[in-house]
Amino acid sequence: MIQSTFQKIFALRTYSNILWILFLIIPFVKGYCQSTNSNNYFSPDNRLQFANYLYKDKDYLRAANEFKEYLKFNSNDTVQFRLSNSLFKIGRFTEASDNFKGLFFGSKLSEEARLMFFESNFFQSDFNSFRNLADQDVYLPQKYMKDIERLKFATYFFDNTTLPDENILLEPFPVSAQSQIAKFYIQKKFQLHKSPATAAILSALIPGAGKIYTGEIGDGITALVATALSAYLAYTNFKADHQFRGWLFTGLTAFFYGGNIYGSAASAQIYNARIRFDFDKEVKFYFEQRNYFLPQIDL
Amino acid sequence: MKVRLVTILLLFLSINIVEGQDNLSVQLNYANGLFRSEQYYDAVTEYKRLLFFDSTKTYQYEANLKIGESYKAGAKFDDAIKYFSFAELNASNDDEVFKTKTEIIRTNILRRTTERALQLCDDLEKDERFNTKIDTINYWRGWAFMLSDDWKSAAKSFAKINPNHELKLLAERTDKAKVSVTFAKVISYILPGAGSIYTGKILSGFLSLGWNALSGYWTINSFIEKRAFDGIVVGELLWLRFYRGAIQNAEDSAIEKNLEISNKSLRFLQNEYKGTKL
Repeated sequence: MIQSTFQKIFALRTYSNILWILFLIIPFVKGYCQSTNSNNYFSPDNRLQFANYLYKDKDYLRAANEFKEYLKFNSNDTVQFRLSNSLFKIGRFTEASDNFKGLFFGSKLSEEARLMFFESNFFQSDFNSFRNLADQDVYLPQKYMKDIERLKFATYFFDNTTLPDENILLEPFPVSAQSQIAKFYIQKKFQLHKSPATAAILSALIPGAGKIYTGEIGDGITALVATALSAYLAYTNFKADHQFRGWLFTGLTAFFYGGNIYGSAASAQIYNARIRFDFDKEVKFYFEQRNYFLPQIDL
Repeated sequence: MKVRLVTILLLFLSINIVEGQDNLSVQLNYANGLFRSEQYYDAVTEYKRLLFFDSTKTYQYEANLKIGESYKAGAKFDDAIKYFSFAELNASNDDEVFKTKTEIIRTNILRRTTERALQLCDDLEKDERFNTKIDTINYWRGWAFMLSDDWKSAAKSFAKINPNHELKLLAERTDKAKVSVTFAKVISYILPGAGSIYTGKILSGFLSLGWNALSGYWTINSFIEKRAFDGIVVGELLWLRFYRGAIQNAEDSAIEKNLEISNKSLRFLQNEYKGTKL
């Protein structure tokens, strides 16, 4: 009986001891858990995991914010690159180029960062500055020299700078693309613009002629007929002594005549704008389809 | 003894599980707080964070639903529908499925993909699980019709819920107040300017009538004076132009008036209607 009671007390003590030990261990285990930050979703490591998930999910704006938070506590070239690339993807090219710059020296990703830096500058659409930057030969990536050169020559199609020699422009592009780019070159160099002044003068001489000059043949004939008809009506009404109607048709004739001169000049401007717009659209589509002849870099 | 040890061990493990679980619920509360304070961009970020760390998939339905609602509030309807669909996949009961489906319908109405919204209403109506929710389906069907400017069909849908439903009465009133575009055109064929007068543009209607009378007189007068060419040209250049103009004007006025009536009802729905909105 006494032995049984003693055994029970011993068992109880052992039980209590284990319980005490566990209660003592728990805070340490918790402390360990906290030190690994496995449950703190805002720890740098967890932020990085989450950022990488967002990046793969193409939620670049949120990914950029998470990468930025991570980089406040750690330094990592891949993360820096991904942050810059996220900014690039959401069209914040100035910020992207600044961030790519941070990887220029002492980084394994230096060459890729330099290429992306040039790409970021290209998409800022200040093509003159881009060409100056490419000519300076300061930040050029050795590995991607040819790509930057292609990008530099592509800029000539997107602004109104004088084109360089055809052979020099075509040289960096692949042979398969050269014939199409040569076509663009000729189109750009010899764009058939219509002069608004010529169109206006032609319409002043023969109503509708300016419109025909700008390719609006139907409009030109209609303008000629309408002006002639209203002039004839003014003449016949004056002849029949209908003064009011005579003046009404005279006014109408003047309106048609003046309107046609103005319309012809406007038509020439519209023609020129359309030619420019169509050309820009075609060139942009061509280069976009080929990613501007640049390699796809996504780390 | 062994049992006790196992019990203690389980207790110890459960503390950690509960703690992990608790972190998720803390994160959910944080995201909900952002959602309630209408900080939808941040709310989406935090719900996405919750989804990412929710390895047990406890909050998949709730977080996806809230992301959808946040995107909807930010007028990003395509993204909203995507996340409502994720929520539907994670729904654990019929009520949750119904909730996500109606959210998809509501987003489609807002996105003006009315055909899709109506098709989803039909699908939902055919689903036997939702036989008790026909009123809700008809309610959103009515909204789909209202926002696609089909007030007559909207009134029919709301009437199925209740013959005196507030929105049924509104839809009926709107439908009755609208003018007939065809009638406005037809009466303008008979008497130029009458269509404009019918749509409430009285001055414009009388002016149109006056121009037609004057140009008609000139045309007829030219023929009487045996100046047939003048008559033809004046008739073509002036009278016919004014005549056609009056018909076109009547059509435009009728369309504009109908748009005003619809917009008035839609403004009421937006600002004054107290029931559930999109």
